[in-house]
Amino acid sequence: MTDEKKGTPPGAQTPPKADEPRPAGGGAPGTQETKPGEKGAAAGPAEAPALKVQPESSIPAPPPKPGHVRITIDGTPLEVPSGTSVIQAAASLGIEIPHFCYHPDLPVDGNCRMCVVEIDKMPKLQIACNTQATEGMVVHTESAKAKQAHRTTLEFLLVNHPIDCPVCDQAGECYLQDQYMEVGLHDSKIEPEEKVRKRKVVDLGPIMLDAERCVLCSRCIRFERFVTGTDSFEFRNRGDHTQIATFQDRPITHNYAWNLADVCPVGALLSHDFRFKMRVWFLEAQDSVCPGCSTGCNIYVDHRDGEVHRLRPRRNVEVNKSWMCDVGRVEYKEIALDTRVTAARVRKGAGWEEATIATALDVIADKLQEAGKAAAFLATPQATNEDVYMFRLLADRVGGMLDFRVGNPQDKVTVREDNVLLRADRNPNTTGCLDQGIGRTGVDTILNACRSGGVKALVLQGQDLLKDPVVAEVIAKVPFVAVMASHERPDLDKAHVVLPVAVWAELDGTFTNYQRRVQRIRRAVPAPGAAVPRWELAAGLITRLGEPVPVSSARDVFTLIARDIKVYAGLDHRAVGATGRAIGDQATQEARA
Amino acid sequence: MATRVVTVNRDTKPGLLPVLRGMGVVFSNMVKTMFGKELATVSYPEQKRSNSGRYRGIHVLTQREDGTPKCVACFMCATVCPAECIFIESGERPERQIEKYPTRFEIDLLRCVYCGFCVDACPEEAIIMSRENDLVGTSRAELIIDRDRLMDRGKLMEHGAGYRPIDHDVRRPVRIAALERLKKEHGIVPHMPEPRVGPAHRG
Repeated sequence: MTDEKKGTPPGAQTPPKADEPRPAGGGAPGTQETKPGEKGAAAGPAEAPALKVQPESSIPAPPPKPGHVRITIDGTPLEVPSGTSVIQAAASLGIEIPHFCYHPDLPVDGNCRMCVVEIDKMPKLQIACNTQATEGMVVHTESAKAKQAHRTTLEFLLVNHPIDCPVCDQAGECYLQDQYMEVGLHDSKIEPEEKVRKRKVVDLGPIMLDAERCVLCSRCIRFERFVTGTDSFEFRNRGDHTQIATFQDRPITHNYAWNLADVCPVGALLSHDFRFKMRVWFLEAQDSVCPGCSTGCNIYVDHRDGEVHRLRPRRNVEVNKSWMCDVGRVEYKEIALDTRVTAARVRKGAGWEEATIATALDVIADKLQEAGKAAAFLATPQATNEDVYMFRLLADRVGGMLDFRVGNPQDKVTVREDNVLLRADRNPNTTGCLDQGIGRTGVDTILNACRSGGVKALVLQGQDLLKDPVVAEVIAKVPFVAVMASHERPDLDKAHVVLPVAVWAELDGTFTNYQRRVQRIRRAVPAPGAAVPRWELAAGLITRLGEPVPVSSARDVFTLIARDIKVYAGLDHRAVGATGRAIGDQATQEARA
Repeated sequence: MATRVVTVNRDTKPGLLPVLRGMGVVFSNMVKTMFGKELATVSYPEQKRSNSGRYRGIHVLTQREDGTPKCVACFMCATVCPAECIFIESGERPERQIEKYPTRFEIDLLRCVYCGFCVDACPEEAIIMSRENDLVGTSRAELIIDRDRLMDRGKLMEHGAGYRPIDHDVRRPVRIAALERLKKEHGIVPHMPEPRVGPAHRG
């Protein structure tokens, strides 16, 4: 055990890198890009599915499909769309050619010279990232010549590297480390004292710069130029002394700064938020979707021992490519706040009495039965499709008023806040609510009824609805208010029953983003105390009103959604898959995009 | 490997001779203990047995010259620890070259199995072991030993250092395993220099 443990490089247990097309679980790279039958996955040469051609030597192979070329990589023949680079073609076979500067969502620069491969009939080694696959090309990625080139290139890149891995936060997800253990293993010919020293610990606002660790791949420069358009980074000086820097060390101020830490293959750019907090090999990654806005960026939730430590973008070419915004990235901080509601409580006179969820639901069910048509339900677009569906079912059973459009999120659902990802509607599931017909009675009607005493019992699906001052004001006038709350708010004192609910990282479910793409969120950490998903609370109330709905998981609820809501027909959690599924007619989607 | 059959002759008859021989050992030891100078027993705790230089006793955190811990909070020891008894919290210090250090470093000595893996894993020679083995406390909490107590060398190193990296061979176990893998999987034998003398070269 000793040797095995010691022999494992720290990177071996690393969650997959954000910009690598690796799915969670350490599967072969490239499979996410080329999942066969993935609807709309072929948006360009980068994401084209590669068809594996069976090698049959005796029968001449049929000519390639129009627009495709046939190449052979490490003895495996395959057909790829013309224009595909060798590195992409290899990735589609699960062959990872070592690289630093190549990034699937950035323009090719070809400066690191790490990804060289041997190609038959070409006198010199070629870089795989900037060589297009051509008909009949035969590529060797593992030949002795290519391997030797990888080793020498890596040795060259490491000449001035400070080798401060014990201090560096990238350790465990560092390309240099991984590739040193994979192809390098040379002994440095340079003593640490002889190395060129550069600037360390340069504070660039959300990012820490360590120029010594940099391999000068220019990924950050290209990210700044082509994704955010801010052009903050540039190379400075020449030769051995080249280093990246911002002008006069000005901080990075845009909303996508922490992508720089992801995009950096080494520890030169690190996130201030995550620095020194946790070694990455302790973390487990769970696939999920960012709840920060209606874009619904695909993310990894990196967690350990029931605590979420960071969110990282997960590559989805249709939604967020390899990026996510900083506003979304700090969403995890909400999860472990000590203001979480952990137990149900029922109002007793002037104070509160802690209760079990069952008792609290009994109280609410009684009041709802009394109120009947005078009951009102306000759903929240923060909730998953499953939550919203069960909430609607509850409203239908009681026969009360129902809406979700507090603050008119539906008007902003496709409005961009910037030119990259962030949208003005900060709710992840507004489209899902609209699809399920939750906007029924009209928020103003409900609120007016509350003011005039026409509402006898009001159920709020989330405490976020109380952020609207009007809602916070009118609930004081309703004789009975129940709130499903994940976090404490001062306004909760106006309620009569408070139910603890789990937040997005603690439950399974689906969100429908602005493109009408259904995407799955998954449980990464346990919910605190007695908190449960909102659909469970709604199902409990439905049971108490008679005629229970037989659901025991979010998957069950989604089956009911697929049955009842036309546009979701034929879907289930499995069909939604890792990268989501666009629904509805093409015209609607294009109009929304 | 071929099976080796060992034949044991159990046919010996009991006699007086083996008994006398055994008693001879007993009496010679008795005489040594009563009149000899090299006693097997010591008067603990006034006297303590001198353990070997590779004894794996209570851990010590080594210091730099300025009295700060050598530890850079890389979490290698916590990662390798089979008993999961090491808890580290890292923080930033103003020094530009090595900007990370442990704000908390605790070892639960009751959980520790004294395997010495932490010493092997440490890249900085920051954690070594002493020859000290008196683990006495009045509560469990007292035996979760924190950073400052771990750095309190005087007391723990009274009898000299215990298990610590002495051999600065560049061919550390991680590298040896990696080289073997490379040879096995790819048939590559990279050039290996002779082991260096002097401080470890972190290639």
